[in-house]
Amino acid sequence: MNNKIFFILAVLHIIGSTTLVFGQSLLQELDKELISDPVYTEATFKTTRLALGHSVQTRKSGIMEISANSRFWNIPERTQGFIADRVSTRFGVSYAFTDRFTAGFGVTTFDGILDGYLKYKLVRQVSEGKESPLTITLLQNSSLRTNPDRSINSTENFSDKLSFTTQVLIARKFTRNLSMQLSPTFVHRSSAISDDDPTNHFALGIGGRYRIGGHLSISSEYYYLANPLESITTYDAFAIGVNWELTDLMLQFHLSNAPNIAEDAFITQTRNNFNTRDGNLFFGFNATFVLHFKRNQSKKP
Amino acid sequence: MNRIVLLVLLLTGQALSLNAQKRFIARQGQVTFFSYTSVENIEATNNQVFSILDFNKNELAVSILMRAFVFPKALMQEHFNESYMESDIYPKSTFEGDIIDFDASLPTVQTKIIKGRLTVHGITKEKEIKTKIEFIANTLVFSGSFDMTVADYKIKIPPIVAGNIAKTIAVKFRFEFQPYEQ
Repeated sequence: MNNKIFFILAVLHIIGSTTLVFGQSLLQELDKELISDPVYTEATFKTTRLALGHSVQTRKSGIMEISANSRFWNIPERTQGFIADRVSTRFGVSYAFTDRFTAGFGVTTFDGILDGYLKYKLVRQVSEGKESPLTITLLQNSSLRTNPDRSINSTENFSDKLSFTTQVLIARKFTRNLSMQLSPTFVHRSSAISDDDPTNHFALGIGGRYRIGGHLSISSEYYYLANPLESITTYDAFAIGVNWELTDLMLQFHLSNAPNIAEDAFITQTRNNFNTRDGNLFFGFNATFVLHFKRNQSKKP
Repeated sequence: MNRIVLLVLLLTGQALSLNAQKRFIARQGQVTFFSYTSVENIEATNNQVFSILDFNKNELAVSILMRAFVFPKALMQEHFNESYMESDIYPKSTFEGDIIDFDASLPTVQTKIIKGRLTVHGITKEKEIKTKIEFIANTLVFSGSFDMTVADYKIKIPPIVAGNIAKTIAVKFRFEFQPYEQ
């Protein structure tokens, strides 16, 4: 009796050990050897702008971005020039000092806004492992409004022309195709054209990107403004469009009700609703060119 | 009866430990690929490729983490993982193969064919790879190169950048194997 049990145990042992050796392919054994570093989610968004505002994305260290963000629109009087009656372009340059920290500045032609920003990626989403499920980026922008006709700030002296935008950008890449972002925003303006108008604004942006092909995605963004201007009627900014990524060039096409490109301007002074009446809809075209100043070297073992 | 069984147990145990000794592992294998076109030359290297070699059956397995390929341009690396290789779905490329006519007793350099299956981007293809095998000090070095056709592995390249990426990619590899201790 004892012998039998012993024999069965022995058979089991042999079966067990043979399956251990032969039932497992070499590849499966290799998998056990792999070290699992935290894997940070790449490309929550492909571009540093979602549609209107900034996305959580920062560029890798040593990359300079040169961008031309344009808005084209027609006005009811129709003074057709090239392509459209009016065009406004923000020419911008930004440089990534580290993988997390970027600084940039730009000039917008139509509303004469000079702006500069600092952007820092505070938390990175991890796709494998149990660290952060979110990416959080901080943005501090300041802008100077030099065109008195198109400013909601007083333009008497230099400090009056300044506005400051602070954003906490919170995003998550849910699937390989879908990313969403929430952007709580605080805008402080140094002055106002009317005493009724607030100089501190609170806004919340919500936006997302859905990838429809390898290099194509649809993006949309909406900014809710909690305390708008009192002296003029303004609307919340909305945009919907298509992003197309080429090698070093990224193109964004969208429709929006906001003609302004600087954060504080499109959030607070969008004067049109989103509808198709002439002069209410703006065609946006952002072209971003990426220049690498640093060449990565693979780590030598 | 008990004695026989014990003997069998001992023998299988013995065989197992022998198995372990006939295994070699490379933890920092190097795989580099090249794409040469008239528009641009692209080169990316992965220095953290794992491979196991089993002399009992003259078998070899390689596992390549796609994210670990380093490109000179950071954005290119992002595109490579996100749009071309889809590394989130297919994180690894693998190779499993048999070394044909390998003779471990030969101390000199020998060139052999490794015949097996290469899996890239979720697609498996039969592949024969000519490999130079040499003993240098205590390590066993496998090196060589081969070509692979991008279209075979269903890697989608949009027409607008088709000129920038070669139809055939040259792959170069070098593995230094050490005895495997479990």
